[in-house]
Amino acid sequence: MPVETGGVAAPAASRSRRFSQHMNELSLFAAIVVLYVVFGSMADGFLSFNNQINILRDAATIGIAAWAATLIIIAGEIDVSVGPMVAFISVALAYMLQGGIPTPLAFVAAILVGAALGSIAGVLRAYFDVPSFVATLGLWSALRGTALFVTDALPVSIGRNDIVDALDRSVFGIPPAAIVMLVLFAIFAFVSRKTAFGRSVFAIGGNAQAAYLSGIPVARIRVALFAIGGAMAAVSGILLLSRLGSGNATAASGLEFDVIAAVVVGGTALSGGRGSMLGTLLGVLVITLIGNGLVLLGINPFFQQVVRGVIIVVAVLANIQAIKRSRA
Amino acid sequence: MPIASLRNCTKRYPGVVALSGASFAVEAGEVRALLGKNGAGKSTLIRMLTGAEAPDEGEVLINGEPLMQSGSLRAAESFGRGVRVVYQELSLVPGMSIAENLFLGRWPTGGGVIRSKEMEAQTRRALGLLGLDLAPSRLVETLSSAERQLVEIARVLLGEPKLVILDEPTSSLAAAEADKVIEAVQRIAERGIGVVYVSHRMDEIRRIARSATIVRDGRIIDTVDVGSADTREIVRLMLGTEAENAASPVSVARERTVLGVEGLALSPKLENVSFDLREGEVLGIAGLLGSGRTELLQAIMGIRHPEAGVIRVDGVEVGRPDFRAMVHRGFGYTPENRKDDGIIPLLGVDENAVASDFGKVESAGILSAPKIRAAAEAVIQRLHVKTPRSDTPIGTLSGGNQQKVVIGRWVHADSRILLLDEPTRGVDVEAKAQIYAIIRQLAAEGRSIIFVSSEVEELPLVCDRVAVLRDGRLREEFHTPNIDQDALMAACIDAH
Repeated sequence: MPVETGGVAAPAASRSRRFSQHMNELSLFAAIVVLYVVFGSMADGFLSFNNQINILRDAATIGIAAWAATLIIIAGEIDVSVGPMVAFISVALAYMLQGGIPTPLAFVAAILVGAALGSIAGVLRAYFDVPSFVATLGLWSALRGTALFVTDALPVSIGRNDIVDALDRSVFGIPPAAIVMLVLFAIFAFVSRKTAFGRSVFAIGGNAQAAYLSGIPVARIRVALFAIGGAMAAVSGILLLSRLGSGNATAASGLEFDVIAAVVVGGTALSGGRGSMLGTLLGVLVITLIGNGLVLLGINPFFQQVVRGVIIVVAVLANIQAIKRSRA
Repeated sequence: MPIASLRNCTKRYPGVVALSGASFAVEAGEVRALLGKNGAGKSTLIRMLTGAEAPDEGEVLINGEPLMQSGSLRAAESFGRGVRVVYQELSLVPGMSIAENLFLGRWPTGGGVIRSKEMEAQTRRALGLLGLDLAPSRLVETLSSAERQLVEIARVLLGEPKLVILDEPTSSLAAAEADKVIEAVQRIAERGIGVVYVSHRMDEIRRIARSATIVRDGRIIDTVDVGSADTREIVRLMLGTEAENAASPVSVARERTVLGVEGLALSPKLENVSFDLREGEVLGIAGLLGSGRTELLQAIMGIRHPEAGVIRVDGVEVGRPDFRAMVHRGFGYTPENRKDDGIIPLLGVDENAVASDFGKVESAGILSAPKIRAAAEAVIQRLHVKTPRSDTPIGTLSGGNQQKVVIGRWVHADSRILLLDEPTRGVDVEAKAQIYAIIRQLAAEGRSIIFVSSEVEELPLVCDRVAVLRDGRLREEFHTPNIDQDALMAACIDAH
């Protein structure tokens, strides 16, 4: 509808518009409060300091990958290769450390390998029009397969390594993984709102053709997005290695679905063009809280998956309804 | 007895009389051309015949019986009496066969299974009526665009059609391909089916129609004998006499040539296009829908790659044009289809405006909110964009205001050569006038502009020079103040 707003109606309209912009985050926040009340009253030890630290650490596993996945999904793409990428990198890193490569150098190499592998999917998408689901599905299978093949599905031990060990030692009670997650969150939130790269991602997801015709380098940005996705999976792989003390080809199984669930629960549209980092942060918390609370409640692990599935769908459904109502 | 007729039909929409006391009749086996510029009332007339809408006054007769129903039943009633329409936008499913497309959603079934033998036999018959020898099992995606258009026509020949309405069926086709469609229309008429043929290509009309009805401002102006009326006479009827030329712009073009195009070819639309664009000049490109205007702009911008031709910028030859490289050379392009290719609806006016050059609103690689606001406000003020706030999502603005932002994007980027493809399409009258003024102002600043339009009325208001694109070449050229609407229209539609 044409907007010919006069002076009188405008302030009220824009206030409600701003409110509806944050409706998504508000309703997620409410969901987290509800989860805390329910689990806090029903599950022993849920509210304990130690458990809160556990939640943060678990959140890091999903969160770091989810920041990159948020940008990828906002751009209208998808990355399903996260879990195998994390496992593959942890294995590759373990071999590098076994081979005597200095630890900091090995970390950098691991991140570069992750970025390079991710950019394969990016190039396939950007320059050869392979749908990103297919390109990353190929990576998903090939990376898991390679890691299993070279390790025979056995853990690759790295022995004693001070730097790796330090990564799993809490700083003032807070696990480094959580700190890495929060620092990366701040960077991603900033990049998504305050840089030409970040805004171009929104533009591409909103209307790729219009973005291209505005002079935005659409193909290059698509490659960069998947490279970033690979690099973030590599960071998760490093943290996984430090937590397990070994590279593990079978680790992080199904992580990609937790990541996508967190992003979607966080209000990012799978169709692209719409989403926020804060939403994803809250989505990561929702997914992590559900997992943690169900374990503490002692629910049968098979049945946990049922409950989790229902909660994810209900959360997204409630969110969509809340946003619709606030717009009406 | 006419197969279909309108008797004194009047149709009003809020604010406009779309059809006023129109009477119209088509005989069986007759091909009647329907002529009129955009918005003259052709579409409303067609909707009366198909029963998509009912007249406020008057009646519509099909086979001598008035249509009685209202609402969606009316369209079904008209369809039941044999009225069929072929629309200009193709509506086929590419991944399905010709036969499946012909029967789309109405597949003949037996026990839930599609009877493909029967379906293919009927399809072969319908294609045969048009003189087409295509296997019914062929996938539509393997067909040329002319063949696809013919399949659309074949679709309406199923059952017992009495009146077939074709709305610019050749607009997306090159001249050679269009011949097949014209032959098909002749065959339809030979079978005693009445045809209403909407087109602006006079050569086509002369080949298939004996009489042409001209519509202007919701009225049937006249029905002329195509054989004896000359093109200028028809143009005069289409445009009316009120078309006295408004004030022509004062040219500020300088001598320096900024863009030179020589021998550009892009089959099947462009054969050999050459022109120069000078600094501060507004060059209009006139041409009918489908004449290759969009392809010309896209070839210059590097969105499509021409087979032959040289493009020079400031006298320097451009090797292989690439869109981003052309933007760096100072080019800006606004696409014809604003909604699909122009705007990013969810983002604000501000981000839509600065997307062409983020560098201008950054400090040390980081976007600066104050700079974005200032840049957006500058665009909003210079181009008179009506928006509640600079960060209002652009999708909520009116078409005219969206278009101003899309143009403003290149003002923000300081582009010196602007290629505007139908910038006034779907824009209200006030916004149109503002866009004309903006274009003149940009020219006065020394920018060069190519202005593509299918509305001949607006070209004399904006352009220093107008070139007419027809059959793949730039044919005639008109210079201000001697850009005459009638002559322009005649040059667009006539092929001799």
